[in-house]
Amino acid sequence: MFHNSSQRKYWIFKKEDELEHMRCKANQKFRNKILESGKPGLSESMFLERHEEDVLFRHYERRLLDFCNAFKPAMPKSVVGTAIMYFRRFYLNNSIMEYHPRIIMLTCAYLSCKVDEFNVSSTQFVGNLLQETPAGQERVLEQILEYELLLIQQLNFHLVVHNPYRPMEGLLIDLKTRYPTLDNPESLRKSADDFLTQAAMTDAGLMFPPSQIALTAILNSASRAGLSMETYLTECLGLREDKEALSKMYDSMRRMKTLLKKYELPKPEEVNAYKQRLERIHVEFSTSSNKRKRGYEEDGHVAKEPRLVEEEWTDEDLM
Amino acid sequence: MDDQGCPRCKTTKYRNPSLKLMVNVCGHTLCENCVEMLFVRGSGNCVQCDTPLRKSNFRVQLFEDPTVDKEVEIRKKVLKIYNKRDFDFPSLREYNDYLEQVEDIVYNLTNNIDVENTKLRMEQYQRENRDLIQRNKATLTREQEELEELLLLEQQGNEQRRLEVLQEEQRQLQAKRKNKQALLDELEQSQLPATILLAQHKVRAAQLETQIEQQKQTVKPTNLFSTGIHMRQTVSLMAVPKVEEVLYHYKPLQVKTYGPPVPELEQLGRLGYLNHVRAAMPQDTAGGYTSALACHRAVQDAFSGLFPPKG
Repeated sequence: MFHNSSQRKYWIFKKEDELEHMRCKANQKFRNKILESGKPGLSESMFLERHEEDVLFRHYERRLLDFCNAFKPAMPKSVVGTAIMYFRRFYLNNSIMEYHPRIIMLTCAYLSCKVDEFNVSSTQFVGNLLQETPAGQERVLEQILEYELLLIQQLNFHLVVHNPYRPMEGLLIDLKTRYPTLDNPESLRKSADDFLTQAAMTDAGLMFPPSQIALTAILNSASRAGLSMETYLTECLGLREDKEALSKMYDSMRRMKTLLKKYELPKPEEVNAYKQRLERIHVEFSTSSNKRKRGYEEDGHVAKEPRLVEEEWTDEDLM
Repeated sequence: MDDQGCPRCKTTKYRNPSLKLMVNVCGHTLCENCVEMLFVRGSGNCVQCDTPLRKSNFRVQLFEDPTVDKEVEIRKKVLKIYNKRDFDFPSLREYNDYLEQVEDIVYNLTNNIDVENTKLRMEQYQRENRDLIQRNKATLTREQEELEELLLLEQQGNEQRRLEVLQEEQRQLQAKRKNKQALLDELEQSQLPATILLAQHKVRAAQLETQIEQQKQTVKPTNLFSTGIHMRQTVSLMAVPKVEEVLYHYKPLQVKTYGPPVPELEQLGRLGYLNHVRAAMPQDTAGGYTSALACHRAVQDAFSGLFPPKG
């Protein structure tokens, strides 16, 4: 259960500043590492700034969501939620410049299928990468398997993620049973679902318990529909006397809604510009020597001498 | 089984598993044939270490590792001299020190460390405690004799019982044969019709059977428990020391869920929650699934961590 889970103990933070601080630290750590290694021909401007990293992170997160939604067989929502949470937690402590997001996102999806017991064989998994030939898919699979252990380590082996989908179901059941004032809670479901999907794209999962996120989703969709649910909180959840807790809860809900409002879709021009720089950084500073051993397809052509030329598969190969 | 061969003839041990290995004082093995061979020629030296040997020094090997055998021999000799018992010592510590001394001596002699010194020490000890050694030897032999007597008695008892059982069986066989013979005689001589005779015979046979059964079941009265205590004897044991401790109080487990209380699994139906959950299909109930389980899980998850932590 959530109350004695590792998520509550280690992966719930109080303020957004804390999260920002951790990400800056990761960024700084990578920069120091490269500067210390003393490679020639580098300059400070080559590195990505925090906000640029952020844009790229959101872009790849979107790609992850699209990949999971297009997955065959259909991926349950909890698997998608877990994958996105892994992605987010990984880049809390590591910089995008160090590990390229397109591999990490596939590794997150792969690991999340395993952890959530959504049984997909590895060949079936890479079979969903429609742009690649089978040989290309094999290579991607090898990369995924390489990065899997790294991902688990960076998650500090805390693999169980509590998503807000089941709490939402539970709250709907409770509403139907104990709150007759609201005559059709099912009508709230669609809008609450959208809220939850949007919330997965923000840091809400790292700051609030999933039950609170679910409650906010339902209250939000109720207020959208013009229904008032104040009495639910006071009567059914027993908060009539505890004004302090009630006000705190409203506060958290407000903060969550602000988080959602702040989210903006990454703009394509910015994304492309930053991507170029990211590719350059990876080509120059990539520490993994395995990439040099194989050649990759680029835009459908098979490299003639795969062992000598280092060609990487691009994002277009994913979708 | 035995992965070592005889160092001299090497092959014979594998070919002939019944061949025994003999061990001597230097700790090296030789098979029986090689021992004969060695002493036929009159030379008495060990093959591996060239120590002079006597034929009488060879003993049949009991352990796989010949060094163990060697140690056993040495221990026997040492213990003949160092034969103090635990009641000879005023305190446990001194007894343990003495035992450690003995072990040191055995270890030194087995591994050929400091042999001279050790032998000197042994001789000195022997001289000092000569009469004590003699006395202990006497007590030891007496004890051994008592044990042997007990063993003998037990064996005799077993033999007797076995004979008795055999005799019983014989008697029963004879009784049965007599019965059959009696039937045949009666069939010959008596005037009664055959069916009545057969019925009578059957009755007698049944009676005989029950008799035999009863005899088997009577337990021979004995007045000794198997541990040797007499049945009527009252054994006074030492009083068990009383240990006073704080009594254990059961306290039920309290789990903080940081949320509103969740109704119990069994109450869910009564409270009306189950109306809003998909009912369990017959295939699901076969495995023990009930819709209350899914409902309870969903409600638990909904309420867990809902309230902000205090403070």
